[in-house]
Amino acid sequence: MKLRIVNVMRPESVTITLGGVPIRAHPGESLAAALIAAGHWRFGEGEDPARPRTAFCMMGVCQQCLLRVDGRLVQGCLTPVVAGQQVTSA
Amino acid sequence: MTSRFDIAVIGAGVMGCATALFLARGGMRVVLLDRGEICREASGVNAGTLTMQMTRAALIPYALHAHEMWMTMPAWCAGGDVLATSCPGLSVAFTDKEAAMLEERARIRREAGAPIELIDGRAAQAIEPGLADGVKLAGHCPIDGFASAYLTGRAFRAALQEAGVTLMEATPVRGIDGRFVLDTAAGAIAAQRVVLAGGVWLQDMAAWLGVMLPIKVLINQLVVTERMPPVMQTVLGVASGLLSLKQYANGTVLIGGGWQGIGDRARGGVAVRPENFLGNVRLAAHTVPALRNARVVRSWLGLEAETADALPAIGPIPGIDDAWIIGSVHSGYTSGPYMGRILAQAILGEAPELPLFPIDRLLHQRSNSA
Amino acid sequence: MIFDIAVLGGGPAGMAAATEAAKGGARVVLLEESPLPGGQVYRAPPAGFAMKPDRDRQEGDALRAALAASGADIRTGCRVWGLGGGPLVPAGQPDAPFSLSALGADGVPFTVQARALILCCGTHERIIPFPGWTLPGVIGLAAATILLKAQGILPGQRVVVAGAGPLLYAVAAKLLAGGGSVAAVVDAATPGEWLRALPALTARPDLLAQGMAWRAKLLAARVPVLLGAQVTAAEGAKVLGSVRVGDRVFEADALCIGHGLVPATEASRTYRARHVHRPEDGGWVPVLDVAQRTSVPFLYAAGDGAGVRGAAAAPAAGRLAARTALHDLGFKAQHRVQSDAALAHARRTGAAMARMMALRPAMIEAIPAETIICRCEGVTRNAIENAAAAGANTINQLKHFTRCGMGPCQGRMCGEAAGALLAKARDVSVADIGFSTGRIPLRPVPMEAILGDFDYADIPVPAPAPI
Repeated sequence: MKLRIVNVMRPESVTITLGGVPIRAHPGESLAAALIAAGHWRFGEGEDPARPRTAFCMMGVCQQCLLRVDGRLVQGCLTPVVAGQQVTSA
Repeated sequence: MTSRFDIAVIGAGVMGCATALFLARGGMRVVLLDRGEICREASGVNAGTLTMQMTRAALIPYALHAHEMWMTMPAWCAGGDVLATSCPGLSVAFTDKEAAMLEERARIRREAGAPIELIDGRAAQAIEPGLADGVKLAGHCPIDGFASAYLTGRAFRAALQEAGVTLMEATPVRGIDGRFVLDTAAGAIAAQRVVLAGGVWLQDMAAWLGVMLPIKVLINQLVVTERMPPVMQTVLGVASGLLSLKQYANGTVLIGGGWQGIGDRARGGVAVRPENFLGNVRLAAHTVPALRNARVVRSWLGLEAETADALPAIGPIPGIDDAWIIGSVHSGYTSGPYMGRILAQAILGEAPELPLFPIDRLLHQRSNSA
Repeated sequence: MIFDIAVLGGGPAGMAAATEAAKGGARVVLLEESPLPGGQVYRAPPAGFAMKPDRDRQEGDALRAALAASGADIRTGCRVWGLGGGPLVPAGQPDAPFSLSALGADGVPFTVQARALILCCGTHERIIPFPGWTLPGVIGLAAATILLKAQGILPGQRVVVAGAGPLLYAVAAKLLAGGGSVAAVVDAATPGEWLRALPALTARPDLLAQGMAWRAKLLAARVPVLLGAQVTAAEGAKVLGSVRVGDRVFEADALCIGHGLVPATEASRTYRARHVHRPEDGGWVPVLDVAQRTSVPFLYAAGDGAGVRGAAAAPAAGRLAARTALHDLGFKAQHRVQSDAALAHARRTGAAMARMMALRPAMIEAIPAETIICRCEGVTRNAIENAAAAGANTINQLKHFTRCGMGPCQGRMCGEAAGALLAKARDVSVADIGFSTGRIPLRPVPMEAILGDFDYADIPVPAPAPI
């Protein structure tokens, strides 16, 4: 987790999964930030022009960080990490 | 600027464009005017449904010809393409009341020439695996399909130019003097004949010629999803006609059906009603449950014209030689290019392949003609 | 119940507007998309996070505290998708209360109604496309600020910071302070532009000093600062590997780039308020009177969404909008139209920065032909110019010809560049190209979330068309 700035106090990390693979993240971080911190820049693969999806604006505008969390479509940048979330690409 | 044209077509929607195109190919010197841009009103923003199951029975023969034209558009429109796709269409009934309505409507349309057969829910799901359970009866028509209506302007534009039509966009016509001098934002334009093809604005246009033709305005709402994996492969509707649903090759699903928004002739499409937006997407999700997984990205409005009897206004304008009108065709996009072709035939002095829809029946009163 | 005043957007303008309106005795509701009010500049870190507070945090905390104490109904984490009422009524009917349909933080749909609506919708970032800008690892400058300040996360180990405006130096300094490495700062502004902005900056000595401190940090860290330069390409196989600036190449695992801010006018466009294109304000903005009124009765706008002037100028504009709304609704509020000296200074500085961040025509011209402009639909500059040649005259027509702006972001990211390219191809002004019609949903909404529980029989199906 070398991208997390060290002198920031955070809640204890929890586990979420990305495509079934466990990732440690801190509750309250945005999913987009947590994925970037874990080294995952490619949020979704595929054929249409909008892909590979990736975080870009971090403020809910660009729609590029679309993810599926526990089956529901969410914008990664607006969705806080909660322990146990199962994240897949949209 | 004054110039002499054989004919001026006012209104560059699908009917104005088709009329202008076939007139030019028939040898006329044509000017096509629009106050805005080519096919940017109803012709460019409608649901692109090329179905028989929402078409009025009297128009089915026309719609069948038009379906063929849409599917072969590049061949007769100088390569212009609206990505017309042929697929089966289903009109479904979820309740007994709808089933009764469907049975009656399918019969009437079948008698008019649409090859609609009635099938049960299971058979309908075999044709459309995306369809929800609970369908009591479905009308199945193998001749159906859809187009990307937003491409219509682009598709006609090159063909019009190739045919020698003078296209004047962003050129509002303010009135018509004499026979016929158009008072336009770009100066006076003279033409020996005139065709009014102004959609919901036909009422105002007819008034230029002293003709009182009441035209009702429908404010149709449409909703589109973002791209999603395939969830359906047919054109779907419900028996009441209040849903049209299809998925384009790019994955977007277009949800229409004529739910009404706010707008009028003067202001255009003002606003989508959130409650009707919700009703429309609920009906869609009820019909294709996988749509629950979609995100809705956009809605918009298109203004549809309707005469008092909801049948078209296509033909000569009574009492005024060389003045013609075309519009108010129910499901007008579906039938549009064919209507333009037969009006052009009439104007060129040929016998139209199928009868026009003269407007005498709609005129209760008439003031002095120009 | 019908609120007196609804405020859409909980940034500095919105927080101040809601606070002022509630203090004036109005029943006020504030709707905000983020989990906490604050907006982008004054964004608060998530609950349970603690980081060294900076000046922005302190300003934000003060506004948040005042808002919390104001008695306004604060609804954060909600997504407003539907707009209705106000002038959006059938012909001949009187204006209706404004009506906002939203998804709550708990996922439950709700609708609020209000007699007046203050739009404080802020901005989104302008990106002038360049080859490789869609590569994973390339993010906005404002996005980087959010990552750094609200999440405590570095966008990369070795970062290129590029674009225009003061945010460049703020982001670079934050990266260094957070332990990251800055490969280069690539500033589109020339030394001359900075010199010309200096007099306006001296109106805010605090900001000037902050700017100098940022520059000093970069100097100390020996970060190359390229002035009057721009990124020519982002390169990499699957993710960003390097950033090209002319013939110089900087290895980097993140590129933070932004070319200014664009006012978010979706809501004012949906309400059909009059708009004007003013490049120095960020582009299309609603036409406002001196008291923040739009052309639509009881609809107001404040903050950067009404013209980019920066976070410092936003609260005063929000308060002014609130006082005007109170006055128009008949509350006995102190109604001062003239603004104070601090606001004037903030606006002057903000205007200088906004000029520096305004769309740069030369950068538009430099976009290579095959570069993607509309990322959602994969539309290139070439495609836009071909559409112009084929007769696309306006931004709405361009959408039809190319699908540019028809994807999930609805042209929010590409609209400006596409408009500028179309204007250039047609040799007309951007104002002549127009803006895309505002329609709901305000943001994409998952269908499942808005559907709610319903029975088929409850769907109000209108009478069918004649057969």
